Amino acid sequence: MFSSDTLLLATIALPFVGSLVASLLPTNARNAEAWLACGTALCVLVSLSLLYPAMADEQIVRSEFEWIPSAGLSFVLRVDGFAWIFALLITGVGFLVFLYARYYMSPEDPVPRFFAFLLAFMGSMLGIALSGNLIQLVFFWELTSFFSFLLIGYWHHDASARAGARIALTVTASGGLCLFAGVIVLGHIAGSYDLDRVLAAGDVIRGHALYLPALVLILIGALTKSAQFPFHFWLPRAMAAPTPVSAYLHSATMVKAGVFLLARLWPVLGGTDYWLYIVGSAGLVTFVMGAFLAMFQNDLKSVLAYSTLSHLGLITLLLGLDSPLATVAAIFHMLNHATFKASLFMGVGIIDHETGTRDIRRLSGLYRFLPVTATLAMVAAAAMAGVPLLNGFLSKEMFFAETIATHNGSLLDDALPYVATLAAMFSVAYSLRFIRDVFFGPPATLPRTPKEPPHWMRFPIELLVVVCLVVGIVPNLTIGPFLNIAVASVLGPNAPVFDLAVWHGFTLPFLMSIIALAGGVATYAVLRVYNLDTGPLFVLAKSRLSVGDTVSAWARRILGLLGTQRLQTQLRILVCVALVAGFLPLVGHKLLPETMELTPIDPAFALVWIIGIVCALATAQQAKFHRLAALILMGGAGLATCITFIYLSAPDLALTQLLVEVVTMVLILLGLRWLPKRLDEGLRQADSSTLMRRYVDLSIALAAGAGLAAVSFAVLTRQVLPDGIADHFLERSYTEGGGRNVVNVILVDFRGFDTLGEVSVLCIVALSVFALLRRFRPAPESLSVPERKRVQEAFDVDHPDRQPGETFADYLLVPSVIMRLLFPVIGTFAIYLFLRGHDFPGGGFVAGLSMAIAIILQYMAMGTVWVEHRIRVYPLRWMALGFAFAFATGIAAWLVGYPFLTSHMFIAHLPIIGDVHISSTLFFDFGVLAIVLGATVLILIALAHQTIRTHRKPSMPSAVADGVG
Amino acid sequence: MSVTVEHLVIAPILLPLVTAALMVPLPERMRTLKAAIALISTLGTIAIAFTLLGIADAQAPDGGSAVSVYQLGNWPAPFGIVLVVDRLSALMLALTGVVVLAGLMFSIARWHSAGSYFHALVQFMLAGLNGVFLTGDLFNLFVFFEVLLAASYGLALHGSGVLRVKAGLHYIAINLAASSLFLIGVSLIYGATGTLNMADLAARIPAVPESERMLLEAGAAILGVAFLIKAGMWPLCFWLPATYSVVAPPVAAMFAIMTKVGIYAILRLWLLLFGAGAGASAAFGHEWLLIGGIATVIFGSVGLLASQDLARLASYSVLVSSGTLLAVITVGNAGVTGGALFYLVISTLALAAFFLLIEVIERGRIAGADLIAVTLEAFGDGEENEIEPVGIAFPATMAILGIGFAICALLLAGLPPLSGFIAKFLMLTALFQLPDLSADATPWVLMALLLVSGLAVLFALMRAGIRVFWVPVESNVPTVRFLEVLPIVGLLALCVVLTIKAEPAARFMQATAHDLHAPETYIKGVLSAPRVERPLEGSP
Repeated sequence: MFSSDTLLLATIALPFVGSLVASLLPTNARNAEAWLACGTALCVLVSLSLLYPAMADEQIVRSEFEWIPSAGLSFVLRVDGFAWIFALLITGVGFLVFLYARYYMSPEDPVPRFFAFLLAFMGSMLGIALSGNLIQLVFFWELTSFFSFLLIGYWHHDASARAGARIALTVTASGGLCLFAGVIVLGHIAGSYDLDRVLAAGDVIRGHALYLPALVLILIGALTKSAQFPFHFWLPRAMAAPTPVSAYLHSATMVKAGVFLLARLWPVLGGTDYWLYIVGSAGLVTFVMGAFLAMFQNDLKSVLAYSTLSHLGLITLLLGLDSPLATVAAIFHMLNHATFKASLFMGVGIIDHETGTRDIRRLSGLYRFLPVTATLAMVAAAAMAGVPLLNGFLSKEMFFAETIATHNGSLLDDALPYVATLAAMFSVAYSLRFIRDVFFGPPATLPRTPKEPPHWMRFPIELLVVVCLVVGIVPNLTIGPFLNIAVASVLGPNAPVFDLAVWHGFTLPFLMSIIALAGGVATYAVLRVYNLDTGPLFVLAKSRLSVGDTVSAWARRILGLLGTQRLQTQLRILVCVALVAGFLPLVGHKLLPETMELTPIDPAFALVWIIGIVCALATAQQAKFHRLAALILMGGAGLATCITFIYLSAPDLALTQLLVEVVTMVLILLGLRWLPKRLDEGLRQADSSTLMRRYVDLSIALAAGAGLAAVSFAVLTRQVLPDGIADHFLERSYTEGGGRNVVNVILVDFRGFDTLGEVSVLCIVALSVFALLRRFRPAPESLSVPERKRVQEAFDVDHPDRQPGETFADYLLVPSVIMRLLFPVIGTFAIYLFLRGHDFPGGGFVAGLSMAIAIILQYMAMGTVWVEHRIRVYPLRWMALGFAFAFATGIAAWLVGYPFLTSHMFIAHLPIIGDVHISSTLFFDFGVLAIVLGATVLILIALAHQTIRTHRKPSMPSAVADGVG
Repeated sequence: MSVTVEHLVIAPILLPLVTAALMVPLPERMRTLKAAIALISTLGTIAIAFTLLGIADAQAPDGGSAVSVYQLGNWPAPFGIVLVVDRLSALMLALTGVVVLAGLMFSIARWHSAGSYFHALVQFMLAGLNGVFLTGDLFNLFVFFEVLLAASYGLALHGSGVLRVKAGLHYIAINLAASSLFLIGVSLIYGATGTLNMADLAARIPAVPESERMLLEAGAAILGVAFLIKAGMWPLCFWLPATYSVVAPPVAAMFAIMTKVGIYAILRLWLLLFGAGAGASAAFGHEWLLIGGIATVIFGSVGLLASQDLARLASYSVLVSSGTLLAVITVGNAGVTGGALFYLVISTLALAAFFLLIEVIERGRIAGADLIAVTLEAFGDGEENEIEPVGIAFPATMAILGIGFAICALLLAGLPPLSGFIAKFLMLTALFQLPDLSADATPWVLMALLLVSGLAVLFALMRAGIRVFWVPVESNVPTVRFLEVLPIVGLLALCVVLTIKAEPAARFMQATAHDLHAPETYIKGVLSAPRVERPLEGSP
């Protein structure tokens, strides 16, 4: 025979495999789907029944598979009597529902999806039943929520189905997350997530400081799933699901998962006042409320939904009563309710299917059309009402017996028998209404003329009703042994002796039953007078309150408060956060040493700084109104920085700063032409709030600037750290780096990799600028010919002796000739800078910039077209060449076994010049030169070509067309 | 001598960088060639990354860890720049490779021709990302930040259009400001300690005199702000949803790793520099990270609930993911950090897949479909009673997209059965193994944060999913190319694999977290790595 491992694994895996196969079948394969689904269910039933001997022996069958053992999570399949009964229920009802669905679903329905979801749902439910690890239980728990969402929303073209699915998932998945949290806490208390170990740790758990949070979280999970007050509202709305789904999910399985969990964990969590009050009162409220509301429903499925609420409330209440016998009754009622409620749902499905409506007000006299179905439904409804000789009666009697027994002597305890009888009366009343209004009375005009459904569609109901009868008449012979198995596994040695006899004599519970039956009939009679069409005051249950829309509206409002889309505000926040972050660590400390002699201030140097500061402030002031002025002022601040570097003996920095300043300034000036004009009158006349904002910004800027100045001063006036890396560079620059210019040696050798990265950045920026400007189309107001050029052309037109365009060509002729002449001079200077770089201020970076300036000057002097006719400008190739040099230098080191970019000195024997010490870094530096040059020129071209493109003339030759693609 | 395996450490930077340089001079019309080169380079990078992952994990069977160090220019730490491979950097390399590959493949179907230099920029970004994860030097970290940021500027603008350029320029402005802060922070730290090497910094920080410590901490705080801007911490994150929801979808998918760069930097530097062994500076700034992380999750969740647009939903999910990580890594417990790393991987993969999926889904929807769907949900379509109880068949494409959407939603919400749930479980179970649970509120707050944010994700995505897939609004079934489905399926399949093979993954993450919380091996490994002794003399 099969090992228990195989059996258990098959039980859990088969539905999912079946689901996968089902989803792959063709759209109209209704029969194949049904065969597959029913076959799967039967296989699972067989493998479950093979476990019977072990169950009868009251054994626990376990098999464990490793999942994440390091985190205490194993995949444990565990079957004891209770889980086994529950699994049988899931599979058995599943089988019947699959069979029923074959006939219920329209032939045009794309059933693969439907059966795939149903099977996957069955698998998830079995997962809950068979989980031997609480995390794994949560895992399947959320899966059932997910698949029930898909099933409720199966007819998703129906708005109420969508709404129902949404609410069901929101409530049950939230509950699931609470359960998850609760299980985590429970696992912390018990030291394991393993169910057996948790069940063994009952005393520890109840006595732990974290008992209450764990309990509350787990209970929220269970109560949401079982639709208990105050989480009950999702269940009635889930009735938009196809009827087989309701019959399966909302009678036998999904909603039972909550009470299953309550019964499962009752041995460890129960036995405290908290349990009694929370579980008991939730159950009691739902029990009464569900039964009361069910009387007023006009949709047959709603009646059943509210009745389900009520019955689940009854089970929850029983579990909350916290006594062994009540638990027995709860388990018994779980089974009974599943049988009669599933058959009732299917019966309603047949009525709906045959008549085209489920509205009690429209239905009447159906008995004459559907005698068999009507009989079956009546028996099931009688079981629901708790009529003797049916299974519902037995468990209800046990319930009544429990309500009489004293538990903790509180008010709840005293009121219980009366409330229970009242609710039982209601349930008799709605069952009676269901039977009498639908099946009896004059025949109604219906959308369709009903006839009996195919036999196999009725078969599931027949079977379930037979079960109701048999259990109700001979309980000890039928359900008795099974109930014993289940009870023994939940209660263990505390299992009480119970008697399932139909007749106990004239006891108080029997009297309560009689009162309930009689009172129910009376209630129904009274209700018929009351106009049932308008319904009770409980509008909330039906209203289309869209919680989702309210939530979004609120969320949008909060989002507006918490966030912003404005760049200025974002930058303000950014600077403020940085300011605070940088300031906080300094609080309470002295920034400068106590004894420090300040050098006397050089007035000239101070003047440079004052000019620089004024320029910087003026830049900020002008930026909004006069971009050109702002740029020029920014150049002033840059020059002040440059002079500072020279003054502080940093010629390399000064040189670089100067060239960068020049190149960026020119490029920005070129771009300025394409920015739309600003009308500054409106901007200057700011209202008080704008002014206020500007002053706030100014103070933030001043604070940030002052703060930065202070910490810079603090850093610069500190002693040089004795073991810092700076000394190291100074010492080894010549001995190991082969150059006297430490800055350059750092750039190309010690930290050549940084340089490689930075020149890559330059290249990337150039490419991005080019890509952006290629798609750039200037604003219409910037498209016109600049004013100066217009004046010049007008001048040409006015003077008959001049050709058009002559003035423009002659404009600034002398400077342009000088600029042309400067090209070779600057070029030579760039080469000079490059070659001396290793020992003196200079190097590839500044050389590349100088070279770029030479080219920029040509563009400025003679125009794009003229230059590109005469010089081959291929910035992309230059950059590629630069990278090639850099990589080649770096990788050459590999060939001799050194890491990337290791430098090497060698002596070159050059003709005429003689022996020259050359470092391999020279080639790297050349790469830098080429990339810097290429990148700068590419940006220049991107800007220059804007002019060509905008004033496009018929055949504009472009020398760089192939170069830049 | 030949090129040997030790150069593998630098290969994840050099390979894409060389590829990018190679593509610079190629004209735009050779796009297919460029795409092929880019694919080969990216696949190569992934192969190298996984090899390094294997090496990093294999080096220490005892659970401790050794690191591979690569000294650029043969200058030893702390004087030269070093690249360091440990488990964390190898993990990030592999993750980056996978995400970039997915975006790249997706783009080849159509998006790469929406602008110039797409492939070169992607390779530059890949090089920059890999550089960030590999470098062991603070200034070099800045350089690679710049490389990847510069490339991301170009990519953010890819495809042009008013919205993209506007958001792109905002993105550039914010990140340039962040870069300035980065530089200020680095210079202050250098001023206070005299070194830039991370391991050397970690070794020196406990002994930094009191007079310098405030400068060091000010520098670290400013540096942290720069990282947090990247990571998208509230209130520095407003640029993120605006940018991510409008950039070209394959770019957005690749950007899924970009916020994780900020997280990585925090994770690496804060645990290394301000871990338990940092003397007076231990746990510096942790409480700010915790508060900021919580605020970010709240902001992200509110944003999710407020949004209708799918791309915005994805962007706010990015914030939720970032905030969760920021809040959780401050707990300072290796178990929690291990779970957080698992979460980092899963959420990155899922978000990348989600951005790609959204583009395909939106393709079939007519303009204004969202509006109609919202109205339909609110007011019904007026003929509810006439609805036939017959289901509507999904076209196969929509079915696949729907399944993909559901998988993304489950992963991001951290619901079973997928690895998002396992990530949250790992974090929570570790949180609740901390000793003083009744006294300390942090685990409870974090648990609430994880679960409530998951719920917000679920609620928002469920609503969006219903609107897109269930509301019968007229729409066309999108034409989807195989190359577009493949990366989505691949990313999601990876998440599924991580569900089943959760144990080895979780073990690896735990080992990584353990290394991070006990950085002595890292510090010793970097500082004691020997130089290459000259094997032969003479010119090459």
